[in-house]
Amino acid sequence: MTSCLEFRSLFHAGTNDPALLEHLRSCDPCLDYAAHLDPDVMFRAIGGEDLVPPGGVDAFVEDVMRAVHVRSKEDVVESHQVLSWPRRLAVAATVAASVVGATLVYQHERTPLPVATQIAAVTSRPAAVPVKLATKPVVETYSSSDATIVEVPSESAGDTKIVMVIDDKLPADL
Amino acid sequence: MAVELRLMIPTRQAEPDDRELVQTIREGDELAFEQLVRRKTSKVYALCYRIIGNAEDAKDISQLVFIKLWENLEKYDPQYAFDTWLYRMVTNVAIDFMRNKQSRENAVNSNLRLVKTEAEADQGVVVQRKEIEQVFEDVSASLSPKQKTIFVMNQMDDLPSSEIAKILGCRESTVRNHLFNARKTMQLQLQKRYPEYARLWSAE
Repeated sequence: MTSCLEFRSLFHAGTNDPALLEHLRSCDPCLDYAAHLDPDVMFRAIGGEDLVPPGGVDAFVEDVMRAVHVRSKEDVVESHQVLSWPRRLAVAATVAASVVGATLVYQHERTPLPVATQIAAVTSRPAAVPVKLATKPVVETYSSSDATIVEVPSESAGDTKIVMVIDDKLPADL
Repeated sequence: MAVELRLMIPTRQAEPDDRELVQTIREGDELAFEQLVRRKTSKVYALCYRIIGNAEDAKDISQLVFIKLWENLEKYDPQYAFDTWLYRMVTNVAIDFMRNKQSRENAVNSNLRLVKTEAEADQGVVVQRKEIEQVFEDVSASLSPKQKTIFVMNQMDDLPSSEIAKILGCRESTVRNHLFNARKTMQLQLQKRYPEYARLWSAE
């Protein structure tokens, strides 16, 4: 521990001696003395010692650990939710349904319609009008001998698009 | 015989250093984290308090620092000093806080600062620690958050500019430049508000 006498004999402007700085931070008369020799020490006198947060270190640490536990639990819940089996099954089912649906659409578009079921309602075919579908077609299997199918050919040969099915016996849910 | 006697003296178990504690925490030991928080609380809080200048805000920011520490501990590279990494986190969080606070308060506080009368200024200067804290808070309010942080670390925590450069991830010359500008700005503010101290404290 440096005494005031020692401090005043050893102190010089710009000193970085930890012992002198420690003394400076605990002794007001020496701070006043040093401030006249080295104005820089004025603000340096504020620093030095470690401080205790309001409420004390124990309460502070408790608060931090509580916050950390809450965060850890949230992380566990989040990761659990992401990996839960019902969610996985739901995702798998959705993907499977999408694949099956897409396959059916693809196969349906590639298969030529049976000639017997095609009744040419339009003898003179109008010029091809590009048709834009607002929604994707729903594909169902349906067979009937009474159905009238109105078709509009597209520009490429052999690629027929069915746009209307007229049938009195058409099931309501189709 | 001497050797035997020495062996009989119970050896005190050495406290793990910061790097060892971090390793233990990474292995899932929460108690080790509690030990680390307890060990660093006073230093972190003191730095936050000196940068921010308000006890409650400094406490909140210190807690935020430790929570961030917990969340980012995996990113710590043990080849660097732990305190440098921790101080970087403290300064980042504190500077962010100061920037937000400054933008909120600048307009409100610009006309409310104390100006001493000439009669008071003419009286002999006796340095009072509490008063210096108040003076520092007033004149450092005009510094940028980064300038203030660098000034606090250098002047109050006695960190050399090379260490501050490591903490902030910038060049040493940048730190010295910030220090010079901080001193200049504070001297101007002192002359305006506390002329008796301005005579004591002058920029290089």
